[in-house]
Amino acid sequence: MLSGEGLVLGYGNDAVAGGVDFSLSAGEILAVIGYNGSGKSTLVKSILGVTPLLGGRLHWSAGAPPAPIGYLGQLSEFDRRFPMRVIDLAATGGWAGLGFFQGAGRTTRQAAEAALEQVGLSDAATLPLHKLSAGQLQRALFARTIVQDARLIILDEPFAAVDQSTEADLMALILDWSRQGRALMVVLHNLSAVLEHCSAALLMGRGRSVYGPTREVLTPERLVDRGYMAADQAALIAAASSAGSGKGDGRA
Amino acid sequence: MLEFLEFAFMRKAILAVIVLSLGMAPVGCFLVLRRLSLAGEAMSHAAIPGIALAYALAGLSVLSMTLGGLIAGLGVALLSTLLARVTLLREDASMATLYLLALAGGIFLLSVRGTAVNLEGFLFGNVLGLSDGTLVLIGSSTTLTLLGMALILRPLVLQTVDPVFARSQSRHGWLIRSLFMILVVLNLIAGFRALGTLMAVGLMIVPATASRYWVNALTPMVVLAFAFGAGSGLLGLALSFWLDSVPSGPCIILVAGLVFLVSLAFGQNGLDLLGRLSGRRTRSTLSNKSKIGKDP
Repeated sequence: MLSGEGLVLGYGNDAVAGGVDFSLSAGEILAVIGYNGSGKSTLVKSILGVTPLLGGRLHWSAGAPPAPIGYLGQLSEFDRRFPMRVIDLAATGGWAGLGFFQGAGRTTRQAAEAALEQVGLSDAATLPLHKLSAGQLQRALFARTIVQDARLIILDEPFAAVDQSTEADLMALILDWSRQGRALMVVLHNLSAVLEHCSAALLMGRGRSVYGPTREVLTPERLVDRGYMAADQAALIAAASSAGSGKGDGRA
Repeated sequence: MLEFLEFAFMRKAILAVIVLSLGMAPVGCFLVLRRLSLAGEAMSHAAIPGIALAYALAGLSVLSMTLGGLIAGLGVALLSTLLARVTLLREDASMATLYLLALAGGIFLLSVRGTAVNLEGFLFGNVLGLSDGTLVLIGSSTTLTLLGMALILRPLVLQTVDPVFARSQSRHGWLIRSLFMILVVLNLIAGFRALGTLMAVGLMIVPATASRYWVNALTPMVVLAFAFGAGSGLLGLALSFWLDSVPSGPCIILVAGLVFLVSLAFGQNGLDLLGRLSGRRTRSTLSNKSKIGKDP
């Protein structure tokens, strides 16, 4: 689907990260990890074409970025007071394919209804956005991503504000997408259980980033080295995982 | 009681406020939803020096005054965005400074020029003395606005509700934003002769705000804003006709203000007084952490 080679990321003359290499194929889930300010969101923006690359190259296997690119970003600028119903929000995922004066027709509408059912929000379809809980809003945004029906889906901290049961439901959706052969890039702000499902990881921060199979990349030494966590935190985690049976170790 | 309909100037005025409301409703709704209510006010003042300068240069010509106003209004909007980008000050501070300078400059120009233009009419409107040229301006402005809004509606909605997502899907955000600002200034200028430079923005903001108290979807919000705007226009005109010392602008905005108060008191997203009195379960609009379908 897409690979990056020696990417230099940043704004204007300020490079946030350099030497970023990765590759993402159809059906894969790539986790992107790093401390705040390590350039995760800038990487996403560069892939989306919002921020120009300062160096390096992105190779698209199809020659050009797919359209649309499925995207679910952080909600800091999201306006929940906008007068819109849940079903309308889901339907906005189908707007990219429409001409200027063309109305969103029955197909988009049906896609939106089906997507809401998939995320378990059918009962809330006609609720205005401001009446949703944080978890419901995230489900609605996943529904919009379903309606986008994109080959490449980028999720930026998709579980930042949701409870465990919502996270589990949404994770199941992500796995569905991967099984359908879509390429997924998931930016994560913590080392959650989600990582178990990611085929590869990109750890960003302090100099060159590290890319590879999840278990090889996310070792305590590397996490400390790239500034993701302090040495004593890593020691604590290492002690805990060697004391317990280590639920993931057997599979690695 | 309806004897005022017999006057041609009154029929013109009625036509003007209805057509004006038609264009101002969608623009006003987005101005409110995009948190630009005060910026709209600022831009209406910013347009004054352009109009005054055009008047000083070319006399009382609708076309040149419209162009002058558009250039000055958009100039201040663009300049304040630019200043916010290249300096430390935020956009509201630079915009407030620039529009105050523009307003002062405009009034200065008008006063130096002499008494040919009646300053009170300029500031508060004289909807009862509209020329045919102004009616054409209002009609053109509304036509352009409705076409323009239909063209940019979807990206505008996305940009307003989820700007991060909108940027991820389109490279043309700045174009949509600029087109919208042009429509805002165009409507302000179309409203100037009828409502005055101080009041024109009121017919955009007040009906849109009142309308939001009643509904939770965009289309009904725009339709209701139009109904509120046109209704306030008609009642305000009648009021201004009967009390002939009061200019039309304040009359129309005061009626709109009454509509706002009623909406605030009884709208489902306002205080919802009737709902509370009758003991109907009120779901407070923003504190509510919904009970429906939390873990479906």
